[in-house]
Amino acid sequence: MDEVILETRNITKVFPETIANKDISFKLRKGEIHALLGENGAGKTTLMNILYGIYLPTSGDILIKGKKVIIKNPLDAIRLGIGMIHQHFMLVDTLTVLENIILGLKEYGFVIDKKAVKKRLKEIENLYSLKVEPDVKVWQTAVGEQQKIEIIKVLFRGADILILDEPTAVLTPQETQSLFKILRKMKEDGKSIIFITHKLEEVMQIADTITVLRKGRLIKTLPKSETTKSQLAELMVGKTQTLDFSRKRPKSNEEILKIENLTVHSDKSLKSLKGVSLSVFKGEILGIAGISGNGQKELVQTVVGLKKAVQGKVVFNGIDITNKPPRYIAQAGINYIPADRLAMGVAPNLSTIDNAIMRRYYRFPLSKRGIMNYRKALAYTMMMAKAYKIKLDNPFAPIKLLSGGNMQKLILAREILENPKLLIASYPTRGLDIASTQFFRQKLIDIANKGKTIILVSEDLDEVLSLSDRIAVMYEGRIVGILNAKEADKNRLGLMMAGVKT
Amino acid sequence: MFYFEKRQQTPGYLKALIPIISLLLGLFIGALAILITGINPLLVYKGLFLNAFGSWYAFSETLVAAVPLILITSGLIVVFRMNVWNIGAYGQYIMGAIFSSYFALFASNGLSKPVMLTVMVIASMVGGAIWALIPTLLKIFWEVNEVITTLLLNYIALYILKFLMYGPWKNPSSYGFPLSKTFPDTAILPIIFKGTRLTIAIIFALLAVLVVWFLIKKSKFGYEVRVIGDNPLAARYAGISVNRNIIIGMAISGALAGLAGMTEVSGIVHYLQVKIGADYGYTSIIVAWIAYLDPLITVLASVLFGGLASGGYSIQITMRVSYGIVGLIESITLFSLVGAQIFLNYRIRWKNGSS
Ligand SMILES: Nc1ncnc2c1ncn2[C@@H]1O[C@H](COP(=O)(O)OP(=O)(O)OP(=O)(O)O)[C@@H](O)[C@H]1O
Ligand SMILES: [Mg+2]
Repeated sequence: MDEVILETRNITKVFPETIANKDISFKLRKGEIHALLGENGAGKTTLMNILYGIYLPTSGDILIKGKKVIIKNPLDAIRLGIGMIHQHFMLVDTLTVLENIILGLKEYGFVIDKKAVKKRLKEIENLYSLKVEPDVKVWQTAVGEQQKIEIIKVLFRGADILILDEPTAVLTPQETQSLFKILRKMKEDGKSIIFITHKLEEVMQIADTITVLRKGRLIKTLPKSETTKSQLAELMVGKTQTLDFSRKRPKSNEEILKIENLTVHSDKSLKSLKGVSLSVFKGEILGIAGISGNGQKELVQTVVGLKKAVQGKVVFNGIDITNKPPRYIAQAGINYIPADRLAMGVAPNLSTIDNAIMRRYYRFPLSKRGIMNYRKALAYTMMMAKAYKIKLDNPFAPIKLLSGGNMQKLILAREILENPKLLIASYPTRGLDIASTQFFRQKLIDIANKGKTIILVSEDLDEVLSLSDRIAVMYEGRIVGILNAKEADKNRLGLMMAGVKT
Repeated sequence: MFYFEKRQQTPGYLKALIPIISLLLGLFIGALAILITGINPLLVYKGLFLNAFGSWYAFSETLVAAVPLILITSGLIVVFRMNVWNIGAYGQYIMGAIFSSYFALFASNGLSKPVMLTVMVIASMVGGAIWALIPTLLKIFWEVNEVITTLLLNYIALYILKFLMYGPWKNPSSYGFPLSKTFPDTAILPIIFKGTRLTIAIIFALLAVLVVWFLIKKSKFGYEVRVIGDNPLAARYAGISVNRNIIIGMAISGALAGLAGMTEVSGIVHYLQVKIGADYGYTSIIVAWIAYLDPLITVLASVLFGGLASGGYSIQITMRVSYGIVGLIESITLFSLVGAQIFLNYRIRWKNGSS
């Protein structure tokens, strides 16, 4: 247990505009689960990317089992027994699960030896109770499933050191628990795990050792037994604020959104909508709970015009917006925070400016008679970064270089600043650190208190329960129940989400 | 052993170096081919260079070839930036030539030169745009891949041209050659530099570059093109009509290729025939890539490839080197350019034993 398997000595990583890591000396022991904490942009992903050979450190050394190594690319890392699951999954959508798992491995031949692969999959399944369908295409699988595929991919390559960058951000509580089971089993097998998260409960539950980063520096490494949640929170950000969740909004009977018998086909057979009806009232926060892949995405995307309804009607503020184009619906006053920031929320290779103005580039003063005013666009972006505390080193650099949480903050800010009558937020706090999560939750409440309406889609039941006035639960393309927040609790919701009648 | 490492950002010097190396590689392979025919490649290249840039007249001929390249490439840039692969400039160029020739041959009565030329310019742009919109609509409504359709339409355009040249539009006194009557004087583009073949088409070309530059860098349309090119899903999410922009882009692209066809028949050939230099449509694809889809660099790259084309013609006559050499150099250049994309996105590293 005490043997140090991986060590960094004074690792520093300098990017053109920022020092992402400064003098980081960090030790990972054999058979431990080591949690890495820190606010958005603290440098967690960067440090892990260095260990995985995606970046070379500007200075400093990496030692594996006491021997100095140079990790120049992920292949080196894999050879050294390091596996990484990235903050944003790296699966190829159009390939099958099996093809993804062996992608880049030479051992299974140019024409894939499927039998051998499946045999090995079976071994892994038996060892860790990790089961996947090898022959379906990745785009047909849910996020929780993709997480498993990523883990199997790493195990397949025989990793002893496993890095997980915010693995639970996209998981339901149940999925998180089964992930933890797998991690514990791996730990028993003598594997070492580095685990990045923003959720302190998870840290207290699973970690043996905890390291806190702040502004690129290692603040402290300490055993879990000697710390508490509040101490960790303080180490991370200094001080935490308390939330004012008080509902200052009166109950209203004004129906702002009316969905009638909405049916949507989708390429993924199970996940279509099967005649959903729902009324949303002005000024309320309506939570939509459900395990991802049960129609939540189809529901909200149809409302905002990104998916076609084959049947049914959507009426917003008295106007029929069924199957209207996205721009029309946005101008009617509905804004949308998509679940997957990289797939839909941003154009990753364009600058932060280009991404920040996505919702208003066509309006004065950002453009006038078809001509853009990029000076105004820059000013708007800087204002946004300042007002919403986005760590933005260079607004002209591609947005993909922002840290995951900061990219999410920019999307949130962009949509909120449109001041919509109805804001549809899918997993809004995914990947945000504690302070930012609180900041944006407070923002959502303020918005509702001002008489605007919010639909909140989330798997995070704590979030749904603490923010919503009512909660609709979706299961297999239907709304299986709507509860008042007062009468809802985690247990009951969990059962409904799993399709159990209550 | 070497291996690749993914880059986050491409350094500027590499972006400058890659097109140059690609072109040098093209010239090198071309030299080997010339060597096989028993001629000294250095002499050929010297001849090629002198015939392209060695005198004012030689340079003016280079510009003559650069004009259609600039026109076509400016248009291609717009659609390539949206990842729409218009391979059909060849056919759009031919259609532009045919549409404008129609007015020159059959509707020139009583029209003054400015009116006539304006009509021809508009006709050529409409012709090219129509030819580009057919595959666009097929793409949008039936999801037919535009690479295949634009390519097929090139052949159809060529056959239409051949049909006209051997049939209805053939000049009865052309001794069986497939060409039309000569255009009336009112349908011929005026020369701007005496003693050269440079017409006011060069002004069209520069205007096209400026307009496209402005569209891409300054306009709302250009912003939308950028978002579509990077992430079409995000574009839809932002309320951008992807189809509308692709239609506009293809119309611009086709119109400019059509205009290039018009400047060739009206400014250089003065009648319609089967050989009207439609190959510019293919060369432009290379020019667009070598210029990194940047309108201003396009001018430079077009002059370079214009020089290759006009120098190539001259050495064909004076040194008996096949013009095919130029095609070879062009294709090797494109080949290495495409291959070099990997260096833009990855870094090569050499491995030393232990790691
Ligand atoms: N390739 C890069 N080029 C320039 N700057 C970068 C690059 N990668 C990261 N950065 C910057 O380094 C800092 C640290 O980013 P990093 O992704 O490591 O943060 P993080 O701790 O993982 O945050 P989060 O919790 O939001 O994921 C950020 O300011 C980010 O903008
Ligand atoms: Mg990160």
